Amino acid sequence: MPISAPERSLLEVRGLEAGYGKIAVLHGVELGIGAGEVVALLGPNGAGKTTLLRALSGLLPVTAGSVTFDGQALTNASPRDAARAGMVHVIEGHRVFTQISVADNLELAGYDLPRGERAARIEEALAFFPEIAAKRRDRGGALSGGQQQMLAVAQGLVRRPKLLMLDEPSAGLSPVLLDRVLGVVRELCAKGTSVLLVEQLIEKTLAVSHRVYAMAQGRIVLAADAKEEDLPHRLERAYFGEDVPTALHA
Amino acid sequence: MDATTGTAPPRAAAAARLAGPLRPLWPFLLLLAIGLAMPLTGNEYWGLITTRMAIYWVLVAGLNLIVGYAGQLAIGYVALLAIGAYTTSVLAAGNVLPPLPAFAALGVAGLAGAVFGVVVGLPALRLRTFYFAMTTLGFATIVTQITLAWQDVTGGGIGIAGPMLPAPFDTTWGFLYFCLGFAAICTWLTANIARSRFGRALVAVRDAEVAAEASGIHKPKLLVLVFILAGALAAMAGGLFATLQTYITPDAFTFDLSLLFFIAVLIGGRGSILGPLLGTAILTVLPEIAAPLAAWSTFLYAALLLVIVLAMPGGIAALIDPRNRRNLPENRVIGPQPAALDALLGRREVPAPLTLRGIVLAFGGVRAIDGVDLEVTPGQVHGLIGPNGSGKTTTLNVISGYYRPEAGSMAIGPAPLPAGKPQGRAGLRIARTFQTPRLIGEASVLENVMIGGTTDGRTGFAEALLALPRQRQEEREFEARARLALEAVGLAGLAEARADRLQHSELRFMEIARALMLRPAFLLLDEPAAGLSTEEIRRLGALIRGISRHGTGVLLVEHHADLIFDICDQVTVLNLGKVLAAGTPAEIRVHKEVVSAYLGA
Amino acid sequence: MLASIIASGLAVGAVYALIGITYNTMFATSRVMSFTAGQLGMLGGVFGSLFTLRLGLPILPALVLTLACCALIGVVTEIVAVRPVLKSLDQHLYVLTTLAVALLIQHMTAMEWSTEPQPFPRLLDLGSGIWDEKYWLPVAVCILTILGLEYLYRRTLVGRAFVAIAEDNFAARALGLPERNLRIASYALAGAIGALAGFAGGQLLLAFFANGPLLNFYGFIPVALGGLGNNRGAVIGGFLLGLFQQAANFLVGGIFSSVAVFTLFIIVLLAAPQGMFGAQAARRV
Repeated sequence: MPISAPERSLLEVRGLEAGYGKIAVLHGVELGIGAGEVVALLGPNGAGKTTLLRALSGLLPVTAGSVTFDGQALTNASPRDAARAGMVHVIEGHRVFTQISVADNLELAGYDLPRGERAARIEEALAFFPEIAAKRRDRGGALSGGQQQMLAVAQGLVRRPKLLMLDEPSAGLSPVLLDRVLGVVRELCAKGTSVLLVEQLIEKTLAVSHRVYAMAQGRIVLAADAKEEDLPHRLERAYFGEDVPTALHA
Repeated sequence: MDATTGTAPPRAAAAARLAGPLRPLWPFLLLLAIGLAMPLTGNEYWGLITTRMAIYWVLVAGLNLIVGYAGQLAIGYVALLAIGAYTTSVLAAGNVLPPLPAFAALGVAGLAGAVFGVVVGLPALRLRTFYFAMTTLGFATIVTQITLAWQDVTGGGIGIAGPMLPAPFDTTWGFLYFCLGFAAICTWLTANIARSRFGRALVAVRDAEVAAEASGIHKPKLLVLVFILAGALAAMAGGLFATLQTYITPDAFTFDLSLLFFIAVLIGGRGSILGPLLGTAILTVLPEIAAPLAAWSTFLYAALLLVIVLAMPGGIAALIDPRNRRNLPENRVIGPQPAALDALLGRREVPAPLTLRGIVLAFGGVRAIDGVDLEVTPGQVHGLIGPNGSGKTTTLNVISGYYRPEAGSMAIGPAPLPAGKPQGRAGLRIARTFQTPRLIGEASVLENVMIGGTTDGRTGFAEALLALPRQRQEEREFEARARLALEAVGLAGLAEARADRLQHSELRFMEIARALMLRPAFLLLDEPAAGLSTEEIRRLGALIRGISRHGTGVLLVEHHADLIFDICDQVTVLNLGKVLAAGTPAEIRVHKEVVSAYLGA
Repeated sequence: MLASIIASGLAVGAVYALIGITYNTMFATSRVMSFTAGQLGMLGGVFGSLFTLRLGLPILPALVLTLACCALIGVVTEIVAVRPVLKSLDQHLYVLTTLAVALLIQHMTAMEWSTEPQPFPRLLDLGSGIWDEKYWLPVAVCILTILGLEYLYRRTLVGRAFVAIAEDNFAARALGLPERNLRIASYALAGAIGALAGFAGGQLLLAFFANGPLLNFYGFIPVALGGLGNNRGAVIGGFLLGLFQQAANFLVGGIFSSVAVFTLFIIVLLAAPQGMFGAQAARRV
């Protein structure tokens, strides 16, 4: 089935394998993201979504395959190099630094940037989240879980990424937060930033996405257009296997 | 072609394993023969060095159980050598009490060593590695300072004469033979412990503490027993050391000596007897071969330590262990043999169900589980599914006692199941596996599985120390049961292989075998299918079914939906710490909310 | 008498506190407790004596050289003994590797410098009696160091990066912080702090190779009391330890005061393994 090919390729992943020690998690992942595209990455627990994001951003060593980003080979680059190249990974679990202030959290996100530039970028990132801009003097630990997640996303924005990878921004938080994050995704998309989004809440995610990849057991099992009619059924089959009667089929 | 690993092991391998850490025996006999042949050289100087080597080994043999087996970094053991040396000397000299015969003094020193061995060791029960290392170091320092300060008894800086053994041990060669004999006995004793369930438990505490707890190993009790043994041996070594020196001052007990003992174990390799024995021999002889080495001996030891840790973590033992070189068959297949389950599990009276009522547990204000009810029925497979962070593994950890719930109750039939107490679960026949396999890499697969039966051991430490018939009988029963368990999960052909050479999927089945060792009434499986191939998952499913049909209640936490729907009798779905749905797989499969929670639609 | 107990207690306490801070500085970025902390303190005294008395340099260049040498040794420690074992932190191999490096340093000093205590020069030649510089200098240096570190951690970006790495290494890496360089920097910083401890306390402790293990132990106690990574806890713990030790020295004599310190240390540790201001243990399952 033809899938609308992106105009200009930003990220190309070929035959990617990675895992933790002896446990191979990713088995030959193939994936591509175009410039300015919002791509949802779906899949059941343990499918390898987080592992894939970590392998892409250099947090986990890649054992085979290649990652090309913006024409540059980024296979097994350090997270720092990936971030400098414009691929920024906002990890799961709103892990901001609780001991230092909100402003300092953002300063650290722009560690390499010249001082003046950094200040401007921080203001730019905070503009997306007025509620945490008001708390910039507070310690990271004083924020609510949702605010911490906004801060984590804002940290990602300070780098002015070409590709922003968000890992389950709503996990353990209220669905309202996802709306806020998805609003930001829309704005970023309008400005030409690509987004790779891992989320459990599928319907809302699909609403902002152009394309969808689904993973199961360390492989990409489905690549489709986000607006496709039959998508829920195809997803369910991809997760649960082909021939079981299901709630959605019934 | 596939090499099936389900075949019975050769008899020879089984016989060899029973020789345990003394296998092969000839290197030990060779070393002993060299020692015994020393008088033939007529060189008394080398006789003294050999004697010293034997004495050091008496201490290292015990320390080996602590450092090499239990992995406790006790770096200040010279303190116990000093305690033994002074106790023996003071009692034999009679400057405090009426003089005792040398052997009696040596015996009292052994008792003192046992007491202080526990005193030095106790912090290990509560403190982390670096802290414990520091406390043993501090202990070594103050013992030296006390020997200096307590002049009335120890002679202070002037020192005290060492005890003289009676004839025929009062000559160089007589004393050498005595020490060699004593060292040989210590080798035998510590090897007996090493190959008993106590030895396996020590290694389990070192490499897989959580799994050890789940297998019913009581770490404090175990460590105290070993501290007693090692302390007694070290102090008796001290008594012999005082005799060898003929005159002792606090200067004789330098930290360098402590370092020699400690590094001898590490150079020798953890979990071995022959390795540390060779390590002791090498470190004792090295400074004697070349004079410049004597001045730089500590430097040399430290450099060796660094090289060993960074470049050769297995030490000498890894070099001489044949299990490292034997190739495992390629393309091996895990072929579970459900028939073996009959022999292993047999017919058992069906226990009452395991029930959870209103379990609540919060981490830092977040409710990880929030009022969970669950019933695991004997003879059935109960699936526990839900999205990430829904509380599945946490529930498992509450049942196996790692977490104490804030509210709610657990029971097996009418009997309440106490919260906490993970070591108590094995006694209640609750076995489990872990998300990441917890294994002892350096031990054989068979030994790993035998860990699971620790709680069924009836023979005591003293019986193990002397390898009495009842204890040997029990070991044979453990081994037979472990081989059955391995056959059941389909790993019989790998019983002798080192566990860290197994593939990930094989380790998952090995963990199940370890759990089966317990003949569990309830088996808790934490994502056993993660990282397995489709074919392996199918076999795993059949194995789990088989286990449950022998009367075991299985609680299965799993992401693979097809496996859950395939083999479960009951399924509970958790979401945000609450039970979203419970019922048969068919009911759950068409449960609208479940599908949306699971798919996130 | 009381005044001199307090003066010497605060002085040695300050040295212990600084060694405690040396432990903490290394621990913060690597989660490693290093046996080299006390050796760095010992080297501060030895290098100080070497550069001033043997080589005849003025105080200030000698101090700068001492700091630089110890910072370098800190970096070497990181490369040789810490980085190779960071991957398997849970095996605690760092206890062995840093012990080995500490012993190499100690033995090298014994062989190449001297096995006897060597004199350390007067630095400023100020004060006498209980107001002698050898008592107040370590205290002043300790206070200055803690103020400097507070400034670093609170006011500079590099300092906040240290704090971030200490709190959540993974998140810091994900954010693109140069984690490895920062770790090396923190080891260099720890080397300099250890050197300061030895230099400031040189007139009390002299330039003696055997100070290493002693400082290792007495510098560790404030860390154990104050909680890992807690510099303020280490300072309080250090001063308390110094005062207790000197008081025990006076009351029961030098050798039994070590016994008293050790006993107290064990009791406190067993009662509160996380220290008085410590954090909770991590989850295991």
